[in-house]
Amino acid sequence: MARQIIFALVLIITLAVFAFTVKRLAGFFSFTGPAFAVRDIRKRLILTLKVAFGQTKIFRRPVLGLLHALVFWGFCLILFGSIEMVIDGLAGTERSLHTLGGFYDFMIASGDIFAVIVAVSIIVFLVRRLFLHVPRFEGIEMKKRSHVDAGSALTLILLLMVSLLTMNTGYVGEMAAKGEPVHGIFPVSALLAGVSAGLSENGFHILHEISWWSHILLIFLFANYLPYSKHFHVFMSVPNVFLSRLDPLGKLSNMDSITREVKLMLNPETAFSASSETESPARFGVKDVQDVSWKNYLDSLSCTECGRCTSVCPANLTGKMLSPRKIMMDLRARMKEKGPLMIKNGKDFEDGRSLLGDYISHEELWACTTCNACAQECPININQPSLIIEMRRYLVLEEASAPGELKSIFSNIENNGAPWQYSAEERLNWAKDIGFSLPVFSELNGSHVNPEYLFWVGCAGAFDDRYKKVVRAFAILLNRLNISFAVLGKEETCTGDPARRSGNEMLFQMQALQVTELLNGYGIKKIITTCPHCYNTFKNEYPDLGGSFDVISHVEFLNTLIEEGSLKLNKQLMKDVKITFHDPCYLGRANEIYSEPRQILHSLTDGYSEMERNRSFALCCGAGGGQMFKEAEKGKSEVFIERTGEALLTGANIIATACPFCMTMLTDGLKYNNREEDVKNMDIAELVLQAMET
Amino acid sequence: MKILVCISNVPDTTTKIKLAEGNSSIDTAGIQWVINPWDELSLTRALELKEASGGVIKSVTVAHAGPVSSEPTIRKALAIGADDAVRVNSVAKDSFSVAFELSEVIKNDGYDIIMCGIESSDFNGSAVGGMISEFLGIPSVSSVSGISFENGAILITREIDGGKETVKVPSPFVAVVQKGIAKEPRIASMRGIMSARTKQIRVVEPAGDVRLTEVVSYEKPAPRAACRFVDPENPALLIELLQNEARVL
Amino acid sequence: MSILVYTENWEGKFKKLSFELVSYASALAEMMNTSVTALSIGSAGTEEMRKLGTYGASKIINIADGGVGVFDTRVYTDIIADVALKEGATVLILSNNISGKALAPRLSVRLKAGLGSGVSRLPLSLDPFIVYKRAYSGNAYAHLIIRTDVRILTLAQNSFVMKENPTGAEPEVLKYEGAVKPMTEVAERSVQTGRMLLTDAGIVVSGGRGMKSAENWGPLEELASLLGAATACSRPVSDEGWRPHEEHTGQTGKIIAPDLYLAVGISGATQHLAGVSSSKYIVAINNDKDAPIFESAQYGIVGDALKVVPKLVEAVKALKK
Repeated sequence: MARQIIFALVLIITLAVFAFTVKRLAGFFSFTGPAFAVRDIRKRLILTLKVAFGQTKIFRRPVLGLLHALVFWGFCLILFGSIEMVIDGLAGTERSLHTLGGFYDFMIASGDIFAVIVAVSIIVFLVRRLFLHVPRFEGIEMKKRSHVDAGSALTLILLLMVSLLTMNTGYVGEMAAKGEPVHGIFPVSALLAGVSAGLSENGFHILHEISWWSHILLIFLFANYLPYSKHFHVFMSVPNVFLSRLDPLGKLSNMDSITREVKLMLNPETAFSASSETESPARFGVKDVQDVSWKNYLDSLSCTECGRCTSVCPANLTGKMLSPRKIMMDLRARMKEKGPLMIKNGKDFEDGRSLLGDYISHEELWACTTCNACAQECPININQPSLIIEMRRYLVLEEASAPGELKSIFSNIENNGAPWQYSAEERLNWAKDIGFSLPVFSELNGSHVNPEYLFWVGCAGAFDDRYKKVVRAFAILLNRLNISFAVLGKEETCTGDPARRSGNEMLFQMQALQVTELLNGYGIKKIITTCPHCYNTFKNEYPDLGGSFDVISHVEFLNTLIEEGSLKLNKQLMKDVKITFHDPCYLGRANEIYSEPRQILHSLTDGYSEMERNRSFALCCGAGGGQMFKEAEKGKSEVFIERTGEALLTGANIIATACPFCMTMLTDGLKYNNREEDVKNMDIAELVLQAMET
Repeated sequence: MKILVCISNVPDTTTKIKLAEGNSSIDTAGIQWVINPWDELSLTRALELKEASGGVIKSVTVAHAGPVSSEPTIRKALAIGADDAVRVNSVAKDSFSVAFELSEVIKNDGYDIIMCGIESSDFNGSAVGGMISEFLGIPSVSSVSGISFENGAILITREIDGGKETVKVPSPFVAVVQKGIAKEPRIASMRGIMSARTKQIRVVEPAGDVRLTEVVSYEKPAPRAACRFVDPENPALLIELLQNEARVL
Repeated sequence: MSILVYTENWEGKFKKLSFELVSYASALAEMMNTSVTALSIGSAGTEEMRKLGTYGASKIINIADGGVGVFDTRVYTDIIADVALKEGATVLILSNNISGKALAPRLSVRLKAGLGSGVSRLPLSLDPFIVYKRAYSGNAYAHLIIRTDVRILTLAQNSFVMKENPTGAEPEVLKYEGAVKPMTEVAERSVQTGRMLLTDAGIVVSGGRGMKSAENWGPLEELASLLGAATACSRPVSDEGWRPHEEHTGQTGKIIAPDLYLAVGISGATQHLAGVSSSKYIVAINNDKDAPIFESAQYGIVGDALKVVPKLVEAVKALKK
């Protein structure tokens, strides 16, 4: 009886502490803003089964992934036993759930076995942390506190597993000594009990009691320690996965407050009159914790500081200040600092510090290439890029602050419709003497021709000397295949992608609305484009602003034609040429297009070889997120040199790309390595044209 | 103290200039109009000065002489951060008339620092700033690449042949500024754009009708010739061509 | 009635542009059947002043500085306007340089004289007085009528060839009698010695990857030195550390517009051209005949930069003799 009362008291204290923590966190959440509506429950459940329970993303590092998965599954199974212990503790019973029969035996046996498996895994993890130098455990954000936290949590888990085993051993031994039936099956503990035959019945009993209390108290301690530790992910990971952002990684969210303003500006009637809302919109973007969404904050609480994101970040790999892990840790720490102050003094309280500026520097934000490797890698679907972009939005929209070169591209896009200073009149220079009459939408008025596709050339295709050759090759392909298409020529203007990636949401939306109007004016339904950035924004982001089109990338288009037999390739031409493929971030991770370019290349050559980091693991070329247009932030090396080096290791004679920015970067990389004589960088469209049987 | 920044409305620098019927003006169809790049830098510096002055400089006003079609460009200047704007409702005839109109505005409202870009990218007159100073009888400093506040005094850095000179002049004065006056032009913040939409642009009627010059026609320059190749065995010919034909040596 | 040309001097010495101005004035004087008066302010000596006569000035005036000591636009405007009125000048000629741009507009208002700035030719006609000037940053040229009796022209630099036309005139030295006191106070003056600032340079010699290594820059530096030019480079060159970061011209480096940009071993990628496309003349030396730079260049040599540049150096040396 006394035992039950003591247990009840301990349980009440534990729950009270937990409730306090929950209330505190709920308070912090109340300061955050909306993220997205939680819909698609079925999809979310399937995702949770795969990513959370199936641990699919953890397995991206196979060996360590397996160990972690085992720990996770072990926890799930052992949970059953823990629930039983609470019931036993309150009711004064022992092994009360044994009435569940076979199911009980199964759960207890699994728990017993997994206690060992988990303990072994934990020991591996501890050894790695204490004795091996693992780069991703280091970083400026990894202070002593993080290492102590990690070590403590691991040690607690180890003690939990040990105490579980000793508890089970004590139970089995005691029951055996007493001659009473054992409830449950204990493959491991029975052995251990057998080995410790020297213990008396009382010995086993004491072992059992001490272990039982240790185990349950450790659980209570652990449960209350978790919310203050990086191991909060034990509670938060499953909900965080369930509440994942479901949009394609390449999609950035639309700022509706900006849309209202832009529409007012574009309508000549309202252009110079005050908006009907007398209230000024809330802050644009994120400067401090009260500006983040509930999902950002949930992400930061779920973050385990594992560092997988940072270890694949191209900026971090080349020595820039950016670390996606640091971004999430900083948010959590800042809320911890300011949350209590806001609870006490009200949401509008200012303490003279802020997340952006005091925790996260401008330099970190401007180093991001928006490659999405961090979001792709995170085992629990944290989305770091959305927070980074929200901070860029604050800088640009509220403070008009951006690196000088990006300010220039903003002016250029606004004034001449392209990130570089070129007149729209020059947008068809690539088609000079192309050998056939290139259909242009503005010239088709009145004729009966109604092209099926818009071939969207993009600014790089129009103005970049190297990429002009690629769009030319693609147009020639379209013509030879008798595809019904037309281009916009001088009427084309920037999709706004570089503006959005750089945080200039206003300029992006102005461009998007204007382009949408232009396309709708011609009744265009289908777009083929050779630029993955244009592809991504048309496909994923224009629908938010009223532009719904069927968008096809040039690699998908060519692949379909090859598969259906309309496009025949001379397989002998490049049969033995060694070719490798660099996945563009905006086709790959952003839109999960990995197989089409490979299928095309396999039909061109028998000498295809993969780079070490490929598909969703591919290293960015370094040009995204506005980096193409600016000086790289301070670092130790350059992303494009890293990636080209990796490509050269395959021994390929041709590095195939499918994006104008990747092409610029990899070609520069070849020049840097003095290999441009023997190794060529070609676009898939160019290779297909070369191999096309006439 | 009050700063006045004169701004000009010009075609965007990438515009392919085409001549209209009769060649007496350019074809304005499809032209994107922007703030004259030198004036943009001038405005940026004026705003920086105001922000660093600790309240000594109370406002930055932009002034423009032009028709109502220029107003979007004036609003852009307001969006970048100018406090208010005044437009003289006239069609710019020549530098002299523009300078005259702007001088009248300055006379009436009293400004301490008047900043003008050294030229506008459409007329390349390099005249308005200097003319304003003479109309007003006040000092002018030209080819200004820097202007700052130091211990309550205004220091102006101007280019001289082969170097720089920092001078002081009593206000009111005109600073005719060139590239380098500001590191890069400011862009408008979202709030700036939102407030600029509704700010009032004060419009005044022209004080007179004076002009001393008039463009009767334009002509396009001879098209850029294709590259003239010189034999690599005879590079001296290149030097000769550069000296006598191109006249750049 | 005469043509007054303001010939600025630099510490008592004239430059090539001074003589170009006098030659222009002299040619204009011939058109208008009148004479040229050259005016200089400051400390030019008699021998130096006489040189103006060699190029056609039949009257040469030197206004002693009078201790003005500093370039004050109000004082200088007063001096020149005073002389213009006394000489009955119907045309004033200044250079379109720093001082010309500072003074011509003030003089225009002072004398109610219409201003044609940046002219590069003699007037297209005298009655009406029409001049040919640069407009739209070189994308169009304007025929500008100056309707006033007195006209002011500023001459674009390097647009008129100097021509000897000796008059044997002797300089007169006068004093400034006006009442305008300078209001400009000089706080600091710094003159650049040695390396010329890239963004100021009229001639730029630039090297790219075609130079193969940092060790090969000698001839380029020599060429630059002989031409009084600044040195520049393309991005890969500064990335590799062959040349200092400040020399990088291009979209993400410096954007320049010199009169002459000599691109040696540079292919002409879009990003590089973005930094130099406003140059008056681009000359390219590259061993790839298909290099994009040739599409933007007015003159080019297809050849090995390492062989061609030393020959250019020799040619420039010969020229200087």
